[in-house]
Amino acid sequence: MAEYWGVKVEDIFNSMQERFRPEGAKDVDSLFGYDIKDEGKWKLTVKDNKMTIEKTDDLTGCIATMKADGETFVGVNTGNVDATNAFMGGRVIVDGDMGAFGKTGKLFRKFVIAQKEMTTKDYLADMFATIVPRFKANEAEEGLDVSFAYDLGGPDGGKWTVFIKDKKCTITTTIEGKPTVTLEFNDARDYVDFILGKIDAQSLMASGKAGAKGDLNMMATKWPILFEKYKDPMAGNVPQQELIVLKKIISLNEKFSTGPVMGKFLKGLKEQKIYANKCPQCGRMQLPPREVCADCRVRVDEFLEVGPKGEVRYMDIIYYAMPDPLTGQVRETPYGGINILFDGCKGNETLPHFIRKDQIEKIQMGWNEKKGTRVRPVWEENRIGDIWDIKYFEIDE
Amino acid sequence: MDRAAIIGVGMTKIEKSKVRETFADMAWEAVNKALADAGMSIDDIDNVVTTSSDFWDGRTISCMAVGDASGAADKNTSCVEGDGTYGAFYGYTRALSGSYKTTLVTGHSKGSQCISSLITNASFDPICERGLGMDMITACAMQANAYMNRTGLRPEDMAMVSVKNHGNALKNPMAQLPMNITVSDVIKSEMIADPLHKLDCSPVSDGCCAVIIAHESVATKFKQKPVWIRGLSLCTDSFFFGDRDLARSNALVEAAKNAYKMAGIKDPKKEIDIVELYDAFTYQELLWLEEMGLADYGKAAKLLEAGEFNINGPLPVNPSGGLLSGHPVIAAGLYRIAEVVMQLRGDAGEHQVKKAKTGIAHGVNGLCGQSHCVWILDKER
Repeated sequence: MAEYWGVKVEDIFNSMQERFRPEGAKDVDSLFGYDIKDEGKWKLTVKDNKMTIEKTDDLTGCIATMKADGETFVGVNTGNVDATNAFMGGRVIVDGDMGAFGKTGKLFRKFVIAQKEMTTKDYLADMFATIVPRFKANEAEEGLDVSFAYDLGGPDGGKWTVFIKDKKCTITTTIEGKPTVTLEFNDARDYVDFILGKIDAQSLMASGKAGAKGDLNMMATKWPILFEKYKDPMAGNVPQQELIVLKKIISLNEKFSTGPVMGKFLKGLKEQKIYANKCPQCGRMQLPPREVCADCRVRVDEFLEVGPKGEVRYMDIIYYAMPDPLTGQVRETPYGGINILFDGCKGNETLPHFIRKDQIEKIQMGWNEKKGTRVRPVWEENRIGDIWDIKYFEIDE
Repeated sequence: MDRAAIIGVGMTKIEKSKVRETFADMAWEAVNKALADAGMSIDDIDNVVTTSSDFWDGRTISCMAVGDASGAADKNTSCVEGDGTYGAFYGYTRALSGSYKTTLVTGHSKGSQCISSLITNASFDPICERGLGMDMITACAMQANAYMNRTGLRPEDMAMVSVKNHGNALKNPMAQLPMNITVSDVIKSEMIADPLHKLDCSPVSDGCCAVIIAHESVATKFKQKPVWIRGLSLCTDSFFFGDRDLARSNALVEAAKNAYKMAGIKDPKKEIDIVELYDAFTYQELLWLEEMGLADYGKAAKLLEAGEFNINGPLPVNPSGGLLSGHPVIAAGLYRIAEVVMQLRGDAGEHQVKKAKTGIAHGVNGLCGQSHCVWILDKER
């Protein structure tokens, strides 16, 4: 058996099962023939999202049969021979239903010449070569007319534009017209790593290694719908290992005694009162009140009502979506956290809570030498002795 | 007083997600590296201290996840809950106790397996504050605001820390986030909790680090050059924010003062050659440097801008890239110790600083730096 580029004709057929993409075989129910000069004949059966391939002399029933010599066949499958040129030049002939045979292009992942590693160049070639086969025409809405351009730098870089118009996807190796968005990567290697999921786009953009001109949002929302995800062909060259990751939720029911001190504070909230306690030794107020002075280690028994108005000492505006530990729901952002210095307290004797949502931008922080914004609590109607008996604080105007 | 030294260190690469590895896999790698570094076998280890957190590990008695891989069988083993520097502190006291000559200390965590904000939320008081739903980032944003409000520090000043540390990480193969970025990249990155942008915050990370501490009587018996522990102190602030001044860190002032005293250091600005500190957020590097007495309060940013803390500057700070370039909670402080040890030995590779005789390794535990552990390490005894 002759080898071309280190690959035998048989290798292409033998690897078909492994390279088969069931998602590309939807609605295909046909027999296809391959007649490779001096090598033999193969029959491919595709039905019910499954396939079989057999070497046979009997190609009856095939809807279309491809005829080529070994070198051309291997060349087309390994990307060493341009398929369109080979077809136009008569080196590949298709007998039968040409349209039906066209569907075989979507049936298989690309054949990759076994090697230790794919270079950036190999990956780029494969990534862009598979864009059109990965396009899901039925997901493109009527009238969608966009183009996505790629300007990739570095020694292996290049330019590409992907057009989507009239539910068709085409690609050029130039940047043409006025693309909807142009992605720019300083180094094509980063683009490859990004597509392979090794780097996230955010850190690339943040570090200035990548950027976008135009409507990136359009691309970010449309691309995952319009295209199947790129599959790393090298993933097929090594036996795929299953990663077993167990997801568990640990839920432990706990009861916390509030004790007479915190208990008094919580009961106070029920009555719309805020209690602090005062250290007999240093005179510091503790809020929430605690059993023992954090500085002096003496019992603290004297309770004093403070506030309920006060000034903002510490403040931050939170933009990231953190799960609320009480509900597990992700909070609406942004929201504002504050520490309040109640009337009757001094120094750092503050209590944390939240500020009314529409006022977060108006708050000024204070400290010993500067007054912060004055705030007052907004009480919950039905109070149960909980920190949320105060709904939030609002500016006291 | 007896002396002790660090005679071996080992660390895994810090990564976003070691999904293919368990805690034991990570400990196996870090411990083997530390033993090889020291020229020891596991039989040369007298006792084992592991550092871990039950919440982060998702199991109680979390030290047991790494006990086997740390060779703890039939040995006295104990677990410290807190930063790795605290576990090492305990390991040091054991080495000095007279009962043990060599202590293996490990620290591990996999942030990738947890929702970190829920875990740090659980460190708030369960009766009153936890229900408010604050976490480490929101609390530290508040501290950053307080610090900025007090000192006039600007977001651009903090951003320089991120630029420096991510840049340093380019030369550290163990770092998770080597990045060539600018101040404007930091300012333009997503706002997480005002004033902290994404690039002001350390990432979620997986990693394990191991160090071997030896009593002076055996410190030179093995292959590796010992790095001597000259000064060491651990101090804690009050827990509630209402009991402390959030714009300052009294605990660190105390810890640094004690450690300098023990080491006989009179002028830390002159005598310290390199610092690896706990920069969980950009502003913390500046605040911690000031509270350690390596810059005047509110003035660290000016020195940073002048290049004083660069890898080739007079006082390199976090030449490894720091926590901003990889933050395996718990293990992070132990990584600081291991980094300083390698710098003092001249083994830090591409991120080696020029002159390094005396260094500081610093660890933090608790919300907004509630407690601090300061290590003064020295190439000479």
